[in-house]
Amino acid sequence: MTALVEKRTVDMQIIGEWVEPRSKVLDLGCGRGALLEYLTQTKDVRGVGVDMDFSRITACVARGLSVYQGDMTAFMRQFPDGEFDRVICSRTVQELDDPTTVIGEALRVGRALTVGFVNHGFWKNRVDGLVRGRKVRNEVYTTEWFESRPANPVTIADFEHFCAAKDLRITRCVYLRGDWKTRCWVRPNLFAGYALYDLAR
Amino acid sequence: MPDLDDTLTTEAPAPAPAPEAGSVGIVTPVDFVHERPFVCKNGQVLPGFTLRYETYGELNAERDNAIVICHALSGDHHCAGRHAPDDRKPGWWDNLIGPGKAVDTRRFFVVCANVLGGCVGSTGPTSLDPATGRPYGMSFPAVTVRDMVHAQKLLLDALGVAALHAVIGGSMGGMQAMVFAIEFPSFVRRVLAMATTARESAQAIAFNEVGRQAIMQDPGWNGGDYPKGGGPRVGLAIARMMAHITYLSDASMDRKFGRRRKSGASGESYTFDVQFEVESYLRHQGQSFINRFDANSYLYITRALDHFDLAQAYGSLEAAFAPVNARFLVVGFTSDWLFPPDQNRAIALALLRAGKAASYAELSTDLGHDSFLLESEELYALVRAFLEREEPRVFDFSI
Repeated sequence: MTALVEKRTVDMQIIGEWVEPRSKVLDLGCGRGALLEYLTQTKDVRGVGVDMDFSRITACVARGLSVYQGDMTAFMRQFPDGEFDRVICSRTVQELDDPTTVIGEALRVGRALTVGFVNHGFWKNRVDGLVRGRKVRNEVYTTEWFESRPANPVTIADFEHFCAAKDLRITRCVYLRGDWKTRCWVRPNLFAGYALYDLAR
Repeated sequence: MPDLDDTLTTEAPAPAPAPEAGSVGIVTPVDFVHERPFVCKNGQVLPGFTLRYETYGELNAERDNAIVICHALSGDHHCAGRHAPDDRKPGWWDNLIGPGKAVDTRRFFVVCANVLGGCVGSTGPTSLDPATGRPYGMSFPAVTVRDMVHAQKLLLDALGVAALHAVIGGSMGGMQAMVFAIEFPSFVRRVLAMATTARESAQAIAFNEVGRQAIMQDPGWNGGDYPKGGGPRVGLAIARMMAHITYLSDASMDRKFGRRRKSGASGESYTFDVQFEVESYLRHQGQSFINRFDANSYLYITRALDHFDLAQAYGSLEAAFAPVNARFLVVGFTSDWLFPPDQNRAIALALLRAGKAASYAELSTDLGHDSFLLESEELYALVRAFLEREEPRVFDFSI
């Protein structure tokens, strides 16, 4: 729990630095609403979260957040271009069935898109998979393959390749080491456990 | 729509009455009499009106802890507790409302009134027109959902309510809840609308029309002019039977009745007596309905629902919600085919597009439209979360 709190805190702090005060934010895969509540309280944002799960929606409602239960792409299609100042996709991108569509829609309804994900190319994840010959499972990826949702094990190299191929502009990025706290400056695809990007069209 | 004749989740008969924990106990309806003229949306004027209502809990010193419960088409003001110790069943939303329940009467002052145009104590077509001394019948004004809400607002004013902590309603009650927030934006802080719609679909209008035709084609209807207790009993029963089907679902009816036969009905007996349990159940629904509901009220209220269309009334749904200050929670139910999830989603999406605080949650159920009445810990937790949030909170970082 403590490690989780620390990781969550750094993650939120960085996103918090990127978010403009009083801006309009859409959080895709908002979970129980921790990030949105943090942004609401520290940045006074007007936020909306989207998630699929009823109990997580209940948790968000308990936090006083606006939240929508349903498919995130279908949700975004209900809004005009540039409706949100920022769309956030924090630890969601690896669970998307159709990342191209989701990211495309996010950059249509949002003027900026923040993406944060666990780097599958992190050396420990590589070694873990290589040595065990099984789906990566460690303190970062804690679930068995049969109990987790469909996952794209995306790496930093993969994601940056995607951005180049789709002509998406990376306006900011931060790589964090395996502790998800310390900045990583060298060969992030190998040495970073976590990556955060700010994208624009 | 509240189903007064049937318990949704329990098959067993209601247990012997006992002072239940979490019950508001014995309650007594009260009549609010408004003695000044009331102008309906269409310009017609009622010289005055009566609303029958019940309250549970206490109004606080700030007079802002009131929660209004809006009932559905065939519901009434009796939503919690019992009228007498030996009442077989409590109010229609007793599972939700009471001390310690999701709508906690230890904290909130709960008000539920029977709607204008109804027949369970409030002024409607069965009421006597003071100008003629006879029941209004078809000369009753064409009430709208907005009129129902305005009449309730007068009651709340009379009760001294300064602000509504929330308005809660399912189905037609959800429509009223939305209209409350639109018409009285500074008065309403939260809206919880379930299994509802911002505009009646063609299918919903079609069902209503079948019910009305059953009533109006019954010779007993007589142009709406019939003695108290008389009238189109067959037509009203048929209307109720048909409507009742739309409140359930294929799966829930199959679970409850399947193809089970009434005892004595044999496999090859091709008569048209009751043979299947589902037939017996529907006939019972129809029969018990005619003993408590008025056919003209049924016509008036279904017509009010048909005309309900917030987008058309205000230009667009976003424009309709523009004045709203209330925080909304809209709940859809997966098996509701009368006001399906999409129609509930559309409300939340329009509110969000209008820049309002709104949430949408969807509960997986197989009980159909009446799901909003179901006993569900998940639903209770959601309602409690929406009504009881205290701010600010300590951060909880669990994912």
